[in-house]
Amino acid sequence: MLIGLLVTVVDDDQSVRESLPDLLRQLGYDVQAFFSAEEFLNSPWVGETRCLILDIALPGMSGPELQRELARRGHRIPIVFITAMEDDTIRHRLLAQGAVDCLFKPFIEADLIKALDAAIPTRH
Amino acid sequence: MNATNVYRADASEFVAHSRRTSLVCTEAGTTAPEGPNKLEPCAPSAVPVLPETPRNAAAVPEVMGGSSATKLVFNPGWEREDSVAMSVGLGIAQIVEMIREPLQQRRPLPAVLDALCRLFDASVEGYFSTVLLVDRTRARVRRALGPGLHSGCNELIEGQLVSCMEAPTRNFKPLGSSPIFSLTGELVGIFAIYWRGAGSPKPCAPALLQQFSIMVGIAIERARTEEALKRSEAQLARAQQLSSLGSFSWRPATDEIMWSEELYRIFELDPAVPMTLDLIRARVHPEDNARFREVTDRAQTGSDLECEHRLRMSNQSVKYVRLVAHGTRDEEGQLEYIGAIQDVTPRRLSDEALDKARAELAHVARVSSLGALTASIAHEVNQPLSGIVTNASACLRMLAADPPDLEGARETARRTIRDGQRASNVIARLRALFRKKSAPIESVDLNEATEEVITLLSSEFQRTGVILGVELAEGLPSVAGDRVQLQQVVLNLLLNASEAMRDIDDRPKRLAIKTERDVEDGVRLRVRDVGAGLPEDSKRLFQAFYTTKSYGMGIGLSVSRSIIENHHGRLWAEPNSGPGATFSFCIPRAPESERRAKGPSIPAVRPTEHVMSNL
Repeated sequence: MLIGLLVTVVDDDQSVRESLPDLLRQLGYDVQAFFSAEEFLNSPWVGETRCLILDIALPGMSGPELQRELARRGHRIPIVFITAMEDDTIRHRLLAQGAVDCLFKPFIEADLIKALDAAIPTRH
Repeated sequence: MNATNVYRADASEFVAHSRRTSLVCTEAGTTAPEGPNKLEPCAPSAVPVLPETPRNAAAVPEVMGGSSATKLVFNPGWEREDSVAMSVGLGIAQIVEMIREPLQQRRPLPAVLDALCRLFDASVEGYFSTVLLVDRTRARVRRALGPGLHSGCNELIEGQLVSCMEAPTRNFKPLGSSPIFSLTGELVGIFAIYWRGAGSPKPCAPALLQQFSIMVGIAIERARTEEALKRSEAQLARAQQLSSLGSFSWRPATDEIMWSEELYRIFELDPAVPMTLDLIRARVHPEDNARFREVTDRAQTGSDLECEHRLRMSNQSVKYVRLVAHGTRDEEGQLEYIGAIQDVTPRRLSDEALDKARAELAHVARVSSLGALTASIAHEVNQPLSGIVTNASACLRMLAADPPDLEGARETARRTIRDGQRASNVIARLRALFRKKSAPIESVDLNEATEEVITLLSSEFQRTGVILGVELAEGLPSVAGDRVQLQQVVLNLLLNASEAMRDIDDRPKRLAIKTERDVEDGVRLRVRDVGAGLPEDSKRLFQAFYTTKSYGMGIGLSVSRSIIENHHGRLWAEPNSGPGATFSFCIPRAPESERRAKGPSIPAVRPTEHVMSNL
């Protein structure tokens, strides 16, 4: 078991906020889930987060905006974007801007693990 | 004979008048006009204006009765044997019979008039008569019938102007004439008499002249009436044929049915066969039997009938007919219906074709908006799918753990089912919106229908950065309509508004949707954007294939308007005082019966609500 590696999920979709943390815990991570970027930014977990699984379309501040805001605040959290809107242009742009990965919903476990491994290489 | 006789002292003219004819002739014994042989008094303008129409119109029926013809009153100075009077009377009686013969055996009018002239000529020595029929213009002689005149004389008169007719020959001295008017006061003919003897004409009985001109008048009038009747019957038959409308009468008590020719044609039955209710019933479409029975049952009460039903012909083709009938009772209290049945098949078929075309167009419009929504729809479906896949993965891991986390596995399985349901709800909603057939008229809660569209569009708005403000009035009356079509209108308006703001970057893309009560007890929905505003020629907005978009067919607004108008409502656009435009529609509330049919309103609990709440 890996203890102390916090993965944070920010998604406005309830079923993602419920299912993804369950799977992540099964994979051995600690998990925090938030409905919006603002909720996350106001939480005490920003500094602790080792990987951020971030939805692109969010109410209020969007995923990419949160990415910029974190960079502005000096947080260098690896980000795995997830989106239900399949769009390769956006994916390439996000990767170019430093995202670890961009997964299109629904994604399979293997792709998630691959992205997490890329985000948290110290895991092994 | 009760004609009004007026002596005009100044002109020494004798004027006799009855209801049907005016007779003008120079008084017996005076000298007839000399010089050029003009039938001066016969010109309509020359006919003395009579002081009043006498009330005693008994002359005509008496003559018609035939027997009274022997009651001819003779001028006291007029000496004739009774036998002559008798023969005149008998001759007139015969002619009356000729006039009264049944239509089929009736001799044509010229033959009757010819006989009349001959009778007159034979009755009064030295006198000859002629009947001139005038044409439709009332100005010229159409036909001259004077059997006693020289051969060819009549032909010479025909075509001449009534006002200045040349007498046929110098051997005949015109004595006078009587214009003959129709019941409606039009000049239809002239009865003229001539003298062909040496010297001055012998005196003649004015009553006799009068009697003859009355007879001529009756014969002409009768022929005219019958011709008019025949013409109007022919016109009626033609009109029935043209309008595919037939008439009937029906006595429910005895089932006596009078069926017009056109009805036989519509029902495709042999006109020689007397119509019976059973024959009609056999033609009624089996599926409309109950409806038809209801009408015949109602007929027993005497109330007016109205119904539309189908007929099934021998070749299995179907006709739509519409029946209206009014019940009356005769003096014996017997009920009789007089009615009409119209073949409305072409109209019904074209209505159906129109409805079909309209539905097709509406469908095309919906499908074209489906194209614009593909990304949003994929998003809607991918969200729950994502939950399903992730839950299933977590579930497998929980089961594989040592010891297995059964409670966790159960929970993830439950969530998998829930997300599956949610995905299927999204699909069902899409299918409802994009299916081809539109639903029947139902009671629609416009707020609820609008909310569903908003749910469908929320991710689209999020994607395009549109900020949607929703203001749905509480306690809005429901409207009668096609829920899917109304949702299509809302969808079109929202997508149009969103599209109008696509290139806006200097202000928030605010889109407001609002429902409210309309002043006229209906409901109103407004969609307000801050986009590019209306084009200069905003009327064209609602024309089909008008579009400002680079994609789309430009039929959204025209289809939307036709949908709203089908709901007896109005759809219009107006510019905002600030940037953008507002599109509104209003539709009347559902009639009382529709609301009752819906039953007591139950607070809407939609199965999708809890899973959709976070969209």
